[in-house]
Parts: sequence; structure tokens; C-alpha cells
Amino acid sequence: MQIGFYFDQTRCTGCSACRVACKDWHDIPAGPENWMRLIYTEQGRIPEVFVAYTIAPCWHCLDPVCVLACPAGAISKREGDGIVVVDTQACLGNEACDEKCRKACPYDAPQFGPEPGARMRKCNYCLDRFEAGRLPNCVEACPVRALDAGPIEELERKYGNDLQAEGFKYFERTRPAVVIRAKRP
Amino acid sequence: MNASPPFPADSEVRIVRTTSAFNCGGRCPLRLHVRDNVIIRIEGDDAAEPDQLRTCLRCRAYRKHVHHPDRLLQPQKRVGPRGEGRFEPISWEEALEIAAGELERVKETYGSASILLAVSGGYLGSLHEGARATGRLLSLFGGYTTHYGNVSSEGPIWAATTQLGTPLTGHSRDDLLNARLILLWGYDPARVITGTNTMYELVRAREAGARIVSIDPRYHDSAAVLAHEWLPVHPGTDTAVMAAMAWVMIEEGLCDFEFLDRYTIGFDRFRDYVLGLEDKTAKTPRWAAELSGAPADRITALARAYATIKPAALMDAHGPARSAMGEQFSRMAITLAAMTGNIGRSGGGVGGAFMNLPFGHMYAAPMIPGVRNPVEAGGPSLRGSLDLNLRLQKRIHTNRIFDAILEGTRGGYPADIRLAWFLGNNFLNQLGNTNKAARALKQLEFMIVSELFLTPTARFADLIFPVTSAAERNDLTRGWPSGLYYTAVNRAIEPLGACRSDLEIAMALAAKLGLEEFGTFDEEDWLRTFVEKNPETATPIPDSGAFRRKGIHRLQPAGPHVAFKAQIEDPDRNPFPTPSGKIEIYSERVAAMNDPACPPIPKYLPTPEDRLDPASKSYPLQLVSPHPSNRVHSDMQKIDWLVEADPHRIWINPADARTRGIAEGDAVLAFNDRGRLSIPARVTERIMPGVVCIFEGAWFDPDENGLDRGGNPNVLTPDTYTRGGASIFNTTRVQVQKA
Repeated sequence: MQIGFYFDQTRCTGCSACRVACKDWHDIPAGPENWMRLIYTEQGRIPEVFVAYTIAPCWHCLDPVCVLACPAGAISKREGDGIVVVDTQACLGNEACDEKCRKACPYDAPQFGPEPGARMRKCNYCLDRFEAGRLPNCVEACPVRALDAGPIEELERKYGNDLQAEGFKYFERTRPAVVIRAKRP
Repeated sequence: MNASPPFPADSEVRIVRTTSAFNCGGRCPLRLHVRDNVIIRIEGDDAAEPDQLRTCLRCRAYRKHVHHPDRLLQPQKRVGPRGEGRFEPISWEEALEIAAGELERVKETYGSASILLAVSGGYLGSLHEGARATGRLLSLFGGYTTHYGNVSSEGPIWAATTQLGTPLTGHSRDDLLNARLILLWGYDPARVITGTNTMYELVRAREAGARIVSIDPRYHDSAAVLAHEWLPVHPGTDTAVMAAMAWVMIEEGLCDFEFLDRYTIGFDRFRDYVLGLEDKTAKTPRWAAELSGAPADRITALARAYATIKPAALMDAHGPARSAMGEQFSRMAITLAAMTGNIGRSGGGVGGAFMNLPFGHMYAAPMIPGVRNPVEAGGPSLRGSLDLNLRLQKRIHTNRIFDAILEGTRGGYPADIRLAWFLGNNFLNQLGNTNKAARALKQLEFMIVSELFLTPTARFADLIFPVTSAAERNDLTRGWPSGLYYTAVNRAIEPLGACRSDLEIAMALAAKLGLEEFGTFDEEDWLRTFVEKNPETATPIPDSGAFRRKGIHRLQPAGPHVAFKAQIEDPDRNPFPTPSGKIEIYSERVAAMNDPACPPIPKYLPTPEDRLDPASKSYPLQLVSPHPSNRVHSDMQKIDWLVEADPHRIWINPADARTRGIAEGDAVLAFNDRGRLSIPARVTERIMPGVVCIFEGAWFDPDENGLDRGGNPNVLTPDTYTRGGASIFNTTRVQVQKA
């Protein structure tokens, strides 16, 4: 089984409730470390303007290139559910390895705090909640119900799948575990 | 997913079900995770869908508000010059002693009318809503002067009262699923919460097939998600666009004449105005295009759509009515809704941006009983009158508080204010003309502020009472401004530092002043009375203990609520609550006011600082100051999680930026005769040329040259109001240049 996220781009208002809920649950200070990010797209001229938001957590890729990039073997993909986790204690810190995981990841999922030598942390699909049978906090936080989570096959069955969307590119080399409903200009 | 083990696993964590009490436009069940008197995490409502009431980003950061390092935890006494913001902590005993002494001194020296109580919606709970306890205290003490006029919404309230007889014009949100056309007129529900879940209901309405049009100077995030069409319109000219829509409907025979005949009076006079029989100007789409910047053919198309796609919900919001066109905008909207027969019909409605329902309304919430204010004795009877001037014989219009402090009785105000107590507000920041407000506050003899933070207003205080947050109180709350549920505030943590509730402060001061009549009911005594003795809640809530533990009681209506359904179905038995019993497109009560600025039928009127005002030509840009996305007015301003979610910037169109040499992210100055501010630029096609936008609530932070480095738009807005009582913020002309 592989877990994943569903994201309905047509509904997302870019409000940041998911982002703040993520920071709250994982107690992350304001600043550069953002396990959940928002990518903003704006195109066109008044009055024909196109605006889209895309969430950017960790997509818990089927082929996680970060795992291979880490010189310390600190990142792994769990058997059984496919959640990509990091052993923060084993991480060498961003000064020692120059953020190899972050540079390898096309989605910018590995995150570092502001302090020198910060160790990598990232979205862990709210592992504590997951193990208690709960949805990730971002999913429950979305005011317009633009997010869902669960086994990727189930999500695909339920929602179909657009592999491309504004602000998101599906990379075959990593195979992100995501189902997207894309917003079209 | 699998069967759930207990969660959270930490046995030292308590989960408290509660709500906040912000003036935010929503009211959301929260589950606060508490350990050692600290809120460590927050979850939202856990009701099954579709009833789940999901909180927004603001209360996702609620614990950062409650436990903010800048919280005032001790009474504060000013040291140094007023307004400089230097204080020393003092004991409650000393603070109460000082307050009692000053109240007594001012009353004896100048009389009770010289005491101003300035209150607003910074905290919206039944019990601790500060005006009640403190108003009771000051009335028993001999009286006080206060103010009139809801800064947010007086225009729409006055207009609905005039034409429909009541401000309760809302449909419940589930009725949006019945609409085939929805007009978002100056309405951005993804950002300004107007009933929890409203944006979600609109998303569902769109997905169910409703066509949605956004009429707005900005392409806001609600439009980006919902709208099939964006019609940019210059601020203040919405009313002209609506008049032109009426012209199209009349010319093309698209009005619902049967509805107009049966349910309205005065349409003939309005028609004469629209056709130009009254003033020789036909209100054609071409006429409105000149004023508004909206192309004439698109105005025509919008008129045809609104007249023919039924039912249609007109969600005209309060922003365009916080303008010099105030009540005219809201009156014109009601008139259009009547012309299309969209009143009293499921899927229709007008004034729909704010969900004013006749149940669970905040205004009907049980509160500490008032005491007659001796200062207001002998005032005129207000019954049935729409004339604001009667209300202002004994009170000050809210947006004129600071002018009244400066000018007093010689300026025509009812009192000379010497002592002011600000409570549940940050009025220096949130009313018009901040620099004038700062001058006024320096003139007071004494100033008390009840606050959680050292706000721009509190910086001017002589004495600050530190008050508790909703997390430190028990109380009752409601949907905002109404809703199909009642909610409870449950104390999650013991009061931080020496903070006290407004009730406790009033009780302590009553004891100090020897006012035994204030009574000895404490928090629990009042709350029990409020639930169990209140006919509105006693029946639906048989077990008040369970209600308060669960934090919510949901009503189970049979179907969507449709305003004025009874009036439409059986008009003989159910007249509209107006003098004529009909929708008053022409109002005799307004005619009796005999004021050209407030005609008996709705009209587009030229005003100072509107788009074409030649006197404002050195300030070529129009400024709008909508609600911010990441704070509640000026509350939650200092929460870093929220600040980083949407940094404070001025929106400016690339065409206006280019001619000024402004690039994305540049520091710019915005200024007019009232003040100057600095702010970074956001250059975007999402705002029309000729208009700039600065979100309200940013804290005023003047440097030594009087330049506001906080970017508070109210240093630029006027402190005036319309004849219907609307505070004018969105009729403001400015210039912008690179800093």
C-alpha cells in the first residue's frame, strides 16, 4: 500500500490554513522551515487574469530521490505505507552535506530551520496522527475541503487524476504519490 | 483507516472544546490541547460532514495569540509623555485606585457627560462583551457619553431597514445551492469570513452549476476560485452600474412587473430617475461606463443575466457601502432584487454577503441587563425614525469620536470629553484619519484602555487594564452574526499573569466606587441564567451542562431559511415591516428628512473624493482598504505564523507602477492631505488601473517625521460618515510614489 494526498486545485483559495495547521501540529516556528508550502501562479491581463495555488508538502514519492541523495542514509521509505521519513538525529546537518536532499528533490520538500547546521525535517504525513487512524492535520484544516489523503489507489479511484497542473509537474523519475484535480486557464 | 487508539496518547494533555470570540465573521468549534496551563495544539470541529464547521487560518494560530510574548500581564501606568508607549507595571489595587479617583474627579469637575465609553466588537461573547458590564458600571456611577454607528455595516443596515423594514435579510448558506446565478458584489468570502463555511458553500454552489460573477476593483481569491467572469468597477461607482442595469431592464421590458406591483411601492419614481425624466440624464450603460470603467456592453450583459437567470442571489457586501455612496449602494441592490423578483424566493436574496438570520443572532444574545444611562435621559424618541441626526443628539457618530474629543460642544457635539475608556477596540487604528485621532488622544485629561496588547490605541493610555483572552474565560458565543447553532466558550487555561475579565474589572471598580447596585453575580451565575432562563435557548437546549461541555448546540431546521418567504407567499397576512407594509423603493420616512444627500429613492450621487472629484486631482488614485486575510481587523497582527502567510503590501496595477518607476517589492509611499505611510508594493494585474489596495488593521507606527511605517490605511481615510450613518473609508484619494 502507498499512501498519498489528493489536491483539488479548482477549490484552493490559497488561504494558508493548511500551512498554519501544519506549523501548529508540528510546532514549527515562523521562518524558512515550511513542511507545507503554497506555490502561486498569476497570468494574463486585466480582466482576463488566471490565478492558481498549489500545495507543496512532501509527496512521499514512489521513487524518492532524496533517499539516494542523503550521504548519511538518514532518509527512508517505510514498508507497508510508503511514507518517506527522516531520522533527524542521523542527518549531518545542512552545512556538512550542502543540502543534498533538498537539491535532489524537485518539490523542495526537505526543509531546514534558520540555524547553522540545521538538520533536515519535512512533512511526515502527520505520522502520529496516521498511526492513530487520523488524517493529516492539513487535510482536516482545509476550509473548502480541497485536500484528502489515503491509499493512492483509492484516491485515484475516487477522484481520477490530472498529472499536470499550474505550479506542479509530475516527474516520472520520482513518481510523487499525489492525485490532482487541475485548474485550467 | 484502522480503529483508532486513544489520541493524543499523552495523558497529561486535556482537550477543551470551546470557541474564540473574535469579531472575525465566523464562529468555529475548537479543540484546544492543553498541558500545564499552555495550549500546545489546536484541532477544529469534529462533527461529521456536512455539518463540520471548519475554522480558518486565524484560529489555527489561536495559541500564538493567547500565549503571545507581548501579552500585557499586569496593569500598566503611563510614564513619560502620552503616546510614547512607555509604561510601568502596577498592582490591581493601585490601578483601581487611580481609575476610581479619576472617574470621580472628572464627574465632579465636568459632569458625567465628560466621561466617554468607547466600545466595539473586539470580544463577542454574551457575558464578557465589555460594553455591558462597564456600561452598567458607568450608568450606576451617574452616566457617560457614548457613540452610535456600526463602523462595518451601518449603510447596509440603514438601507435594509428603510426598504425592507429589517436588517434580517439573510438566507441560510445551504440555500446557495438553489441559486442559478450568484453576484459577488464587492465580496471576498475566502478572506472576509461571513459565517463559517460560507466559502465552502459557494464552492459547492459553483460545482452544482451556478454561474458566478464578481464585480470588484480587485480580482480577489474568491473570484479566482468562484467567478466565471470578473467585471472590474471603480470604487464608489457600483451604484451607477446598478442604476444602468435597472435602465436595461426597464428599456428591454425585463422587470418582474407582477412582483413590483404586488410587493413594492415607489417603482414609478425610481423608473423616472433611471430614464432621466427627473434630471435629464438617462442612466444608460454608456453613462455608467464613463463613471465606472466597466464597458457598457458588459453592463448590459450583466443586467440581462441578472434579469433572466433565476433564481439569482445578490451578495452585495459591506465594503462598497463603507463609502460616500454608503446606503445608496445597498438601496440600489435591494431595488434591483425587487425588480427581478429575487426577494423571498429560495436561491435568490439580497444583502446576502452577511448572513443576517432571525435565529441565533448575536444581537439577540442574552447579556447583563442594562441600566438607563442618566446622560441620555431626555433624548428624542427614536421609534420608527430613520433620521440619524436624532440619534446623534446624545451620542457621537463612531467615526467622529476623535473629532468630538477635539471640538466638543463648540463643534456641535453633545459633550466635552475629558476622560475616555476604550474597551474591545483599537479605534485609533481602525477609525478614519489616524493622525487626527492621535492629536485628539493627546488632548484628553485621562485615558483608560482595557486590552491584551499594547496596541496603537493603548500606547496613548494613562492606565491599561490587562484583560483575559477567551481561552481564559467561560462565556457563550453565537454564529456571526447569526447561525444555526449556539456555542460555548470554556476556560481552557487559568488567567495568565494578573489578567482579569471585563466583568471582574467592572465588579472590582464598582466595589471601589461604592456602587452596591452593580450586584454580585459572578461568571457562573450569569451564564446559568443566560442559558436556562433565556426563552430563545431554554427550549432547544434542555441540558445546558451537556451543551457547555460539548461547546455547541446545533439547530436542526427543516430546510434552508429564506428571508421574507412569508411576506411573498401571503402578503396580506404578512406585510413587510415597513410603514407601507411593502418594499419601499420610495421611502416617505426618508423624504421627511428632506436632505438632497439622502434622497427618498436610491440614486448615484457625486461625492467629495469620488473618482471624478476635481478637487482631488493631485491624488489620482482611489484607495480601498478591505478586510485582511490573516488577522481579524487589527487583532492577531503580531502573530508571526499569520504575518508570513500574507505579508502586508499595497496592490498596484502594472500600468500605475510603471509610470511611477515602481517594481514588485519596492518600498513605496502612499499619501494625501491626511497622512503618509510606507509599505512594500505588490504589482499585479489583479487590481484595476487607477485603484490601489491596502488591507486594514495594520498597526499604525509613525516615525519621528510622522510617516506611518506600519502601513495603516486609516492614516489616509476620512473620519466622516454618510446621512445613513455609513463610515466612509473606501472613498479616499491618494498618490503613490517610490520611496
